[in-house]
This record gives sequence, structure tokens and C-alpha cells, in this order.
Amino acid sequence: MSGLSLHQKLENNAALLVFGILFVSAIGGLVQIIPSLTQDSLKTPARNTRVYSAVEPVGRDIYIREGCSVCHSQQIRPLLAEVKRYGPYSRAGEFVYDRPFLWGSKRTGPDLHRIGGKYSDIWHRVHLIDPRAVVTNSIMPAYPWLAERPASAAGDIQANLRALQRLGDPYADADIEAAPGQLEGLLEVDALIAYLQMLGVGFDAGASDDDGAGH
Amino acid sequence: MAGNSGSNGEMYYHDSVVRFLVMCSLVWIVLGMSAGAYVAAELIWPGIDFGQPWLSFGRLRPLHTNSVIFGFGVSALMATAFYSVQRTCHIPLATPRLAWATAILWQVGILTGGLSLLAGINAGKEYAELEWPFDIVITIVWICFGVVFFATIAHRRIKQIYVSNWFYGGLIIVVAMVHVVNSLAMPATLFKSYSIYAGAQDAIVQWWYGHNAVGFLLTGGFLGMLYYFLPKQADRPIWSYKLSVVAFWAFTYSYIWAGPHHLHYNAIPDWVQNLGMVMSLILLAPSWATMINGIMTVSGAWKKLRTDPALKFIVLSLAFYGLATFEGPMMAIKSVNVVSHFTDWTIGHVHSGALGWNAMIVFGTYYFLAPRLVGAELYSVRLANVHFWLALAGTMLYILAMWGAGVSQGLLWLSLDHLGEPSFSFKDIMASMPPYYLLRLIGGLTFLTGAVLMIFNLYMTMRGRETLRVRPPEVGSVREST
Amino acid sequence: MIDNNNRPRRGRSELLLKVLFRPRVVFEDLAKSEPSPYRVFFKYLIWFALLPPLFAYVGGSRYGWDLGAEHPLMLSEAELRVVSVFYYFVLLGGFVLTAFASQWMSATYGARDSLGVHMAMVAILAAPIAFGSVIHLYPHVFTNLLVLIPVLCWAMYLLYVGLPISLGISPERGMLMASSLVGWLLVGFVTLLGVTVALWVNGFGPSIGI
Repeated sequence: MSGLSLHQKLENNAALLVFGILFVSAIGGLVQIIPSLTQDSLKTPARNTRVYSAVEPVGRDIYIREGCSVCHSQQIRPLLAEVKRYGPYSRAGEFVYDRPFLWGSKRTGPDLHRIGGKYSDIWHRVHLIDPRAVVTNSIMPAYPWLAERPASAAGDIQANLRALQRLGDPYADADIEAAPGQLEGLLEVDALIAYLQMLGVGFDAGASDDDGAGH
Repeated sequence: MAGNSGSNGEMYYHDSVVRFLVMCSLVWIVLGMSAGAYVAAELIWPGIDFGQPWLSFGRLRPLHTNSVIFGFGVSALMATAFYSVQRTCHIPLATPRLAWATAILWQVGILTGGLSLLAGINAGKEYAELEWPFDIVITIVWICFGVVFFATIAHRRIKQIYVSNWFYGGLIIVVAMVHVVNSLAMPATLFKSYSIYAGAQDAIVQWWYGHNAVGFLLTGGFLGMLYYFLPKQADRPIWSYKLSVVAFWAFTYSYIWAGPHHLHYNAIPDWVQNLGMVMSLILLAPSWATMINGIMTVSGAWKKLRTDPALKFIVLSLAFYGLATFEGPMMAIKSVNVVSHFTDWTIGHVHSGALGWNAMIVFGTYYFLAPRLVGAELYSVRLANVHFWLALAGTMLYILAMWGAGVSQGLLWLSLDHLGEPSFSFKDIMASMPPYYLLRLIGGLTFLTGAVLMIFNLYMTMRGRETLRVRPPEVGSVREST
Repeated sequence: MIDNNNRPRRGRSELLLKVLFRPRVVFEDLAKSEPSPYRVFFKYLIWFALLPPLFAYVGGSRYGWDLGAEHPLMLSEAELRVVSVFYYFVLLGGFVLTAFASQWMSATYGARDSLGVHMAMVAILAAPIAFGSVIHLYPHVFTNLLVLIPVLCWAMYLLYVGLPISLGISPERGMLMASSLVGWLLVGFVTLLGVTVALWVNGFGPSIGI
């Protein structure tokens, strides 16, 4: 039976056509995704990588809410110029607690994967409220409302942590109990700064590079 | 809708839902492209958000992308899918009430979803920003879309399923698959959830989704539009049936694999990146096969251009389709990607496809469709011709500006001085971008102006006129009804 | 244009002025003539293609290439020479390939298929681009874009107007063929972009931090 007459069968039968499309289109995804879900190197935390604790998850949620990923990447590529500019390139094991991942696809602003500890809290505070106060030609939007809202208003921290716990992130019940207390007296901008200040910190490029990622 | 059957049980095509969807898509053009122009302006003058969270770039940008893709794009696809599936099956929509429900609920879903984005309710994944309640609504409405479409095909009175329906079918099936899998998340509260995938795994799933949203929604679905409306407008059959068969399956198979080209030199396994790159290159073949099929079909129909402005748009859309489907695989090559990733070159590429291919083929289709829906002549052919030049100019300005900006950024970011340190600070490099952004803004506004002219033209064509009642051909007749 | 009568030498500069300021007349003349592709190539194309790299070389050595950030990138004399030579051959090759592509398309659109006519048509379009490239003397990327984009728009307009006239087809068919050529040009340009970048990343060019 020639290919074209085989195809006639498909064209005359809606169910076959639907099944054919589903089958053909599923293959690529299965091949590329299944191994990644089972591969240990993509699930094992890199050295010194830890869950977002205390105020940091709130900061991360604010980062997502304000769409920071749209202009800032969190992915340093293994290219010389990039490593010189931003620090050690990003390893898979550093992102095992990132739900969702925030690698970004555009740099209108610099990469932030290793921004932790590079600027003081005060600098970040001034910069977030009015970027042009510290970076003259910056086109970053200003976020004055972050300094007007309490961190607890950003979301239900306990519900959020419980959801993450259900997904397998290592949060103890005691941590979840204690969480609201840790937000007391803090503003959204403080939470966001806490998140930014831990990004990429503690990664030891000099240690064994065996995070299994193979590159 | 009620009243589609005559008093003695005659059947008519259900075209009023098509008209409704066309009008919705026109509204989305204005909303979505205005949002785009606004964010483009914000990249030059950041103060125009006036300190308001809901005007902030980070919230407006997903409003722009969601409005143009899911508002404009999907509404246009639903409109043309409903119009063409009836006529290629010689039967009215099998479930007209469901079709109306689909159309209306979709608008409500995307509109409320868009508002939620302004409120900062954001799942954090590109083109999948809407949080889980909206994801569920979208899935349900999408399934309804599938039911209407496939039920109509199941009841068809022509044995063979025409090629445009394979593409619309692929759109429905694959987008459903990638949307459902990528959106899987653990809800925490009503408007907050966390992806079940984390880190590198999430990246791979996200770009399997992201690329196939482009592939099957923005490419495949619109190819369905092309395969139906082009032969209709050219008044000749598709140049090569065999080519369309081969191209369809090669396209459906290869596109899926291309996702990882969004993750070159990122923290995912090398083999996944390389597979993505190779399949992206292979994808060039079926894409261009379709383009050639389209161009050869049109080239025989040149006489129609004298009276038909619509065909001009289709021709140009094919040229830009060729450009975009060539540039994509090229940017998927790792050596090129080293320079292009994270830059405005990617934005330029997206818009050469979105403006040059997607928007233009819709324009061409609407100039053909709208007069036919109401049985009138297009209000002004001259205005349509003006629109043509504005669309071309706007797209070219946009692309050239972004090529300039993107290549500059990419190369400058990589430049090292004689001491081996970065030659330029990031902020200095970006400080030289505003002139390009201004050019791009002008290009976008030019394009939008053209689109507004079209909306006026179509409004004047359709206003005050009832949707035509068209009957499918008699059973046993081989003639197409329109 | 080039014809079989013995026109005086000043014919060439007169022609150039006509191309820049009264292109429609030139297209109409072309429609009636059958130039030899070799004459078009050696009399016009190789000289038009020379202008942009020449201007770029002079501007680049005087000012360096200014991509807009802080200070311009100074290339060495040797690097500039290599880039300019490549620029020349790529541009010339582009002109010739476009003429061939156009000739290849003529069967589909019922156009005249003499290579010389297609070359001459490309030469007419190339003229404003060649002269507009004088802006390369000031190699600031954005300024160049600002000047060259309108020049390219003008060349594109000339294409749509001049193609049907010179190739003897109706405006509608000309519109289709011109759009196909635009598609070809866009693809050619983006290929150049990609190939240049890929070569550069793989070591053919000033070093960058890969």
C-alpha cells in the first residue's frame, strides 16, 4: 500500500487522524522530558543550595508578581565573558527548589543569579524605590509600593509553604508554624531584598564540580 | 443559534458566531497592540507608569503577550476554524450552542485573565502566566472548542478531511496537550500555585510548551487558515497536495522537539540542547515546503490582485513566514545563539513572525471574509492598500531596529578588553539602546495605525448588515458552497 | 541605459543622476533594451559594491566602530582590511545572486528572463544603497540605521514600481514577484547576519569572550 493511499485512510477517518496527530506529536516530548524528570543530576541540590527559608519565599513571590523575570535573567552561561561579568556559571543543582524556574529569556537588565551579597541592603532599597537614584540612565520601573505594604500582605505564607511542602520541598511543620512571625514588622521590599541577597550565595565553584550535569 | 433552521427544517451555516469572534479579535488587536506600544514606550520613558503597579512594565508585558496570542490569535483561529470546517465538511457546526459558549467563555476567560495579570496574579512562566483557576477554565473551553470542531468533522458529508482541518486539528490537540502538562501545579490559595516541576526540569517542560504554543498555535493553526482561505481567494487549488501531506506530518513531528533551543548553554543536559538544535534545523524543510506551496498557488492567481487587496497581504505574509521560519532555525544554531540569546534579536524574530506572518495573514483573510459574511463589497479598497504599506513599513522598521539592537547587545556583552575583562559595563551597553527602541516604537505604532484603518474599513463594510444565511450544498453535490 | 548606439562618455553620470532622481524613466528605457549582463556587471555593479566597503574602511580607521557604548571599538588596520574585502565580495555576490534569483522567478511570473535585464534592474536598486552608504564614513551604528533604513525603503519602493515596468509584466504580477524577491532578500540578509555571527563566535574575527 503506497504512502499516499495509506494517507487516504487517515483523511477519511477523523478518529485515526486525531490519534495520528496525538501519537506523532507526543514522541518528542516524551523523549526530551521523561529522562529529565528521572535524571538525578537535575534533582540533586548543588553544594550549599538550600530551600528558600524564612522571608525569602515571600520575596520570591513578589519577584514573580512584579514580573522581574521579564527583564532579568537568572542563568549565567558557561561563556568566558559571562563568567567574568557575573561569576561562576549556573549549575542545574542550584535550581532544584525553584518553582517555577526563573531563568528568564531576556536581559533588559543584568543577570541576577549571583547578585546575592554584591550590593548592600540599603542600595537595593533605594534602587527598588527609584532605580534612577543609583543608576543614572536606568529604564527599570520604580517600585515605590513595595515600601508601603507589609510583607504579610503579599500572600498567605503558610498556605504557600504547605503547598511547597506537598511538592516535596524540605519544609518542617515547625518552619511553617514560625513563618508568619518572621514576617512581622517587615515590608514587601524587605522580603524582596532578603530573596535577592541569597541568590547565588554559597555556591562553591572551587569545590568538586560533580553536580552530575555533565557540563 | 436559534433561527438557523428555516421553518421547513432547512439548514444554514452558523456564521453569526464567526462574525462575533472576528469582532472580538478586532477588539483584541487594539487592546493587545496598544499594550505592546505602551510597554515599548516604557522601555524608553520608564516614568510613564506613574508609579502605578498595574501600569508597571512587568505586569503590562504579560498583558500584551496574552492579549495578542490568546485574545487576538485564538479568536481569529476560532473564527476561521468555525467558518472553514463547516464549508469543508458541507455541514453546519454540529453543536452551535457549544460554539457560542466556547466563543463567549473564551473572551471572558482571557479578559478576566488579563485583568488578573495587571493585579499581579502571575504563575511566573512565559505565555502561561495565568494562574490555576484560569488554566482550568481555559482547558474546559478549549475542550469545548475541540468538541465543536471534531463533532462537525465526524458528521461531515464529504468523505475526505481537507488539509486545513488537519492543521486546525493539530492546533487543538497539541495545544491542549502542552498546556495541560505545563500548567500542572500545586495550588496554595485561590490565586497562587507552584509548578510541580522545579529548576532545570521545569525549564525543559516550559519550553516544550512555549515552543509548541508558537508552533501549533501561531504556526500550525494559521497554516490551517492559509490552506483554506488562500485557494478560496486565489480561486485555484493548492499547488501540491502531496507536498501538503508530507509537510504536515514532518511539521507535526519535528516542531515538538525544538523547545530546547530556548535553553542553549543553560543548565540542562547537552544532549537535550543538541537535539533541540538539530530538530530546529530539520524543521526548516516542512516550513518552507508549505511556504512554497502557498507561493506557487498564489502566483497563478495574479489577476485577482487588481480587484482584491486581500491577496497582497497573504503574499507578504508568506514572505515573512519564510523569513521567520528561516531565522528561527538559524538562531537555534548554538554558535548564533551565543550572541542572540537574551537579546532584542529574539524579540525581533518573534515580531517578524507575529506581525509579518500572523497578523498579516489575518488581515488578508478578514478583507476576504468580512464582505462575504454580510454579502457586501469591501467599503474601501484604497484604504486596504494604504493599510498594506503601513503594515509592511511597520514590520520592517520593527525588525531592523531589533536586529540592530540585538546584535549590538549580544556582541558588546561578549566583548573583552586587552586585560580579559568585560570591555563595557552592562548599563553603558543598555544606555545606547533607546534610539533603537524609539525606531521600534514608531514601527509598532505604524503597524497599529494600519490595523485601526482596517478595523474602520471592516466596520463600515459590516455595519447595519445581517450575517448572510448560506446553505450547504445539496447532499451528493461536489461543489463547494462559497 | 546601455544601448547599441555610441553614446558619449558623460552618458554614465547622466544615467546615474536619472537613476537617483527620475528612476521611472530609467525603468522604461530598460524595458525597451536588452543589456548584456557582463556590461552591467563590469560597468556598474562592481563599482556600486565598492562604495560601502570603501566608506566603511575610511570611517572605521578614522573613528572606529561605535556601537553606542562608551567608546568606539577600534579594529586594527589588518582586521579592517579583511572586513572590508569580505564586505565587498558579499555585497557584490548579493547583487549578482539577487539578479539570478529574479531571473529564476521570471518563469513563474511570465517576466522577461534575460539575465542582463535582471542585473540592470538590480543595479538600479543598488545605486541609492551604494550612494547612501556614504554614512559609513561616520560608523556609528544607530546613525547608519537612521540613514540606511529610509534608503532601503526607497530601494524597496523602486523594486515594486520598477520591476513590472522593466520586466514587462502587469503591476499585479509585478507585485507578487517583487514580494517574492523581498522574501528572498530578507532571508539572504538574515543568513548573512547568522553566518557572520557564527563565524565570529568560532574565531573568525576580533576575539570575543566565549
